[in-house]
Amino acid sequence: MTVADMKEMEERMIADLPWLSPIGALALGAIVCVVLAIVLPRGRQGLVGAWAAGAHLAAAGLAAATWLDRGFRVTMEGIFVVDGLALVLTGLVGISGALCIALARPSLAGTDREGEFYAVLTAASLAAAVLGAAADAALLAIALGLSSIASFVMTGYLRGAPRSNEASLKYYVYGTVAGATMVYGLSWWFGLAGSTDLRVVGEALRDAPDAAVIASTVLVVAGLAYQASLVPFHFWAPDAYDGAPLPVAAYLSVLSKLAALVALARVLALALPDGTAGWPTAIALIAAATMTLGNLAALPQRNVVRLLAYSSIAQSGYLLMGVAALEGSDQGLPALVYYAIAYAATNLAAFAVVLAVARERRSVDLDAFRGLGRSHPWWTAVLVLSFLSLLGLPPLAGFVGKLEVFRAAIDADQAWLAVVAVVNTVISLYYYLRVIAPAVLDPLPPGPAPRALRGASLPIAIALLGAATVAIGVGAEPLLDLADSSTMLMRGG
Amino acid sequence: MPLLTLAVTIPIAAAVLAAALPARLERAPQRIALAASFLALACLLATWARFDPDRGMQLVEEATWIPSLDVAWRLGVDGMALALSAMSAVLFVASAIYGVGPRPLTRAAAALILLLEGATLAFFLAQDFFLFYVAFDVSLVAMYFLIALWGGEQRRYAALKFFLYTLIGSLPVLLGIIALFLASEPQTFDMIRLAEEEPFAGTGVGASLVFLAFLVGFAIKTPIVPFHTWLPAAHVEAPTTGSVLLAGVLLKLGTYGLVRVNLQMLPDAFAKYALPVALLGLLSVLYGALLALAQSDLKRLVAYTSVNHMGYVVIGVAAAAATGISSKARELAVDGAVLQMVAHGLVTGALFFVAGFIQTRARTRDLGRLGGLFGPMPVYGTATALAFFASLGLPGLAQFPAELQIFLGTFEVYPAIAALAAVGIVITAGLFLLALQRAFLGETPERWRGLPDLGTRELLALVPLLVLVVALGVYPRLVLDVISSGTWLLGGG
Repeated sequence: MTVADMKEMEERMIADLPWLSPIGALALGAIVCVVLAIVLPRGRQGLVGAWAAGAHLAAAGLAAATWLDRGFRVTMEGIFVVDGLALVLTGLVGISGALCIALARPSLAGTDREGEFYAVLTAASLAAAVLGAAADAALLAIALGLSSIASFVMTGYLRGAPRSNEASLKYYVYGTVAGATMVYGLSWWFGLAGSTDLRVVGEALRDAPDAAVIASTVLVVAGLAYQASLVPFHFWAPDAYDGAPLPVAAYLSVLSKLAALVALARVLALALPDGTAGWPTAIALIAAATMTLGNLAALPQRNVVRLLAYSSIAQSGYLLMGVAALEGSDQGLPALVYYAIAYAATNLAAFAVVLAVARERRSVDLDAFRGLGRSHPWWTAVLVLSFLSLLGLPPLAGFVGKLEVFRAAIDADQAWLAVVAVVNTVISLYYYLRVIAPAVLDPLPPGPAPRALRGASLPIAIALLGAATVAIGVGAEPLLDLADSSTMLMRGG
Repeated sequence: MPLLTLAVTIPIAAAVLAAALPARLERAPQRIALAASFLALACLLATWARFDPDRGMQLVEEATWIPSLDVAWRLGVDGMALALSAMSAVLFVASAIYGVGPRPLTRAAAALILLLEGATLAFFLAQDFFLFYVAFDVSLVAMYFLIALWGGEQRRYAALKFFLYTLIGSLPVLLGIIALFLASEPQTFDMIRLAEEEPFAGTGVGASLVFLAFLVGFAIKTPIVPFHTWLPAAHVEAPTTGSVLLAGVLLKLGTYGLVRVNLQMLPDAFAKYALPVALLGLLSVLYGALLALAQSDLKRLVAYTSVNHMGYVVIGVAAAAATGISSKARELAVDGAVLQMVAHGLVTGALFFVAGFIQTRARTRDLGRLGGLFGPMPVYGTATALAFFASLGLPGLAQFPAELQIFLGTFEVYPAIAALAAVGIVITAGLFLLALQRAFLGETPERWRGLPDLGTRELLALVPLLVLVVALGVYPRLVLDVISSGTWLLGGG
């Protein structure tokens, strides 16, 4: 490469920078968080949270502006792809990240590393946004690594609690192994293609021996499947969610999961074009196993956080139906995008109410939800709406989401998967009702009323998320349009 | 003017208004409920005037909602929708006049009754499955709260049973709707198109499963034996108005669905299963009548006669679906079934009012303890006798022409079932006469001598129903001319 070429490349990359502004906002947000956390006195650490939330919202706003003003583009010599899929994910990360900060703030206020927590959370969001845009094996590995490290730290935030430590350690050990497995798989791809660019890998894998393609793909998928808690890499999720602070569980179950699924969709589409090695069927089988095992394991749970953990594993299965349909149908990607939006609002709403109950009643057992309708009608309304949305009843967000993935599966000749999903929906009624019924139907247990919670951020977050759960379903059209135009850029441009 | 849309939206808007009123306006909720229910009835009567009985589905009001899924705000009427929605509107006016229990309506009660009215009218008028299903579920929620908040001593148990049964019953309906949507080409929630195109024509496995899903859901709602066990508990514990609306309006949701979906959209599958369904109807007729015979609680007695009377509807619908029935007999059976729904709504509404009136006076509904009520309460006694005679199917009163038509229609394909079902009439005639004798005739015991006769509010609620019962009995063509199932049964507009 001559000096002139270098110069030209540099200019091209500088011209690309505006497309990376959402990711830049998160990166800048994380760095400033660290500085603020050091500079500000302990009583003012809430400002760090406000800054971090602001950075998240700025990222979401910049993603929207990029979409509207600049359009889609493959940037940085093909490393970062800024397309509809990436921008929607960035927007989701921005909005739900800010909401997670609002959820976390009441529990964190006054604890010793509050500011640092926000910094780590923002770093995790940065990793999630990069995961959604990465079209290069090296960048993918770095983003997954950053995401994992940030998640371990957040999971173990409650230093004094043995369960939090155990959860963090478990997550760390398994996560490191899974991450290393993926990097190993990516190294095979590099060996086969001579490049880390996933498009080049895609060209090379067409002609590579089947055994090598399948083996390396399994290794790569393992890392992302771990992050997205897909069967058989799901077992960490209930322990981690249960041990971690609840807002972190909410964060992991929504942002980390969706980022990993988007990355999985992109990796498969770029590196294994035209369904190389039959991956659509393999992914469909994983989807069926994930939703089935998640739902069956959720049935006996009495701990509502673990129940939600298994429920979110099952939801990964439904989301994965969109990925499985990517090759066979042009409805696969819109279904994935819409379901991701619906799931983010719904699952965060569910976690927000569970968090509020856990803070007030100091328990997340099913019994802690008895009589909630009498003491907190609005929480109960959001709880019921979010659980029914996870179940998939009209007119809530989850219904349209399920309909979209069912359509995609049938259009991609995977009708059997839609049937499995329908059966799973029926199974899931049982455990969603197990939480709803005592909350709505039971009288308040006797005993002194728990002290009321202070602070406005949690009630506001609950109200917003409840409203979103309904609005995304009733007003599905604009979001369906958005999902339809959330294309994935396949080749350079 | 979009009369149908107004009929649905006025009660719902009034419900919001009533709930938002300041508490010191004590009479306002009742007035709002009265005004809104009268307006809704007026809208439907104006529709009745514009209605052309020679055409099927007509006066369709359509507004786009979610075009990507072909979900739209579609309301329209054919004979069945118009007759049932008008009957419901009448019962809601009567309920608004009477209030919940003996008191005038509170804010919450007015809001719930109006919400229930909006939901049930939307259900009968909906020509879009999305709206249809949402209305189905909202009516369930509103009725749950009516029972749970104003019911008798065992109200929690009764409300729970009602809630669980009907929610679990609504899930198969939803799955059936999703299946119809996915199978249609291009995919749509438009019920008019689905009735015309019949995506599940034939008797394959898919058609059978979809048929059974709808059948189970609607059978629970109707209720058909053996899915009836929630009904007596709900009725006995519900407040008077709750019972009136539950029996008068909500039970029709089940049989309406049976005609609208199973008969119109899945005729081939229904033909295959017509005999078993007719036998279930016969079982409901006989078992309901025998159980009613064994009751001494007036509400329980009326509740079980509802099982019996809805059984005739099921038999009529099943006979209409059978292969080999002539079109004349089919129209006779369906016209009779729809007329029976209307007549039963009015008669049972009157019966539950009657039961409620004695409950508030004597604090008992036990026929063994009551006696000689004609003496102190001649007006009440006359009204009750009229309602009893109507319910046992006396000629000249509303249920006689309905049941006669059902028998005539059924006789052509299932003569044995028609003959056995007639036994049910004999049993109900016996039990009503027995009840009349025990509670009203003979010497008036000392403790009942001072009972006051009906007041103005009670008369205003009850008399219009009885007038309609007589009018329908003397001149059934009043409604039959509108129903004219021949114009809509086979789809088309």
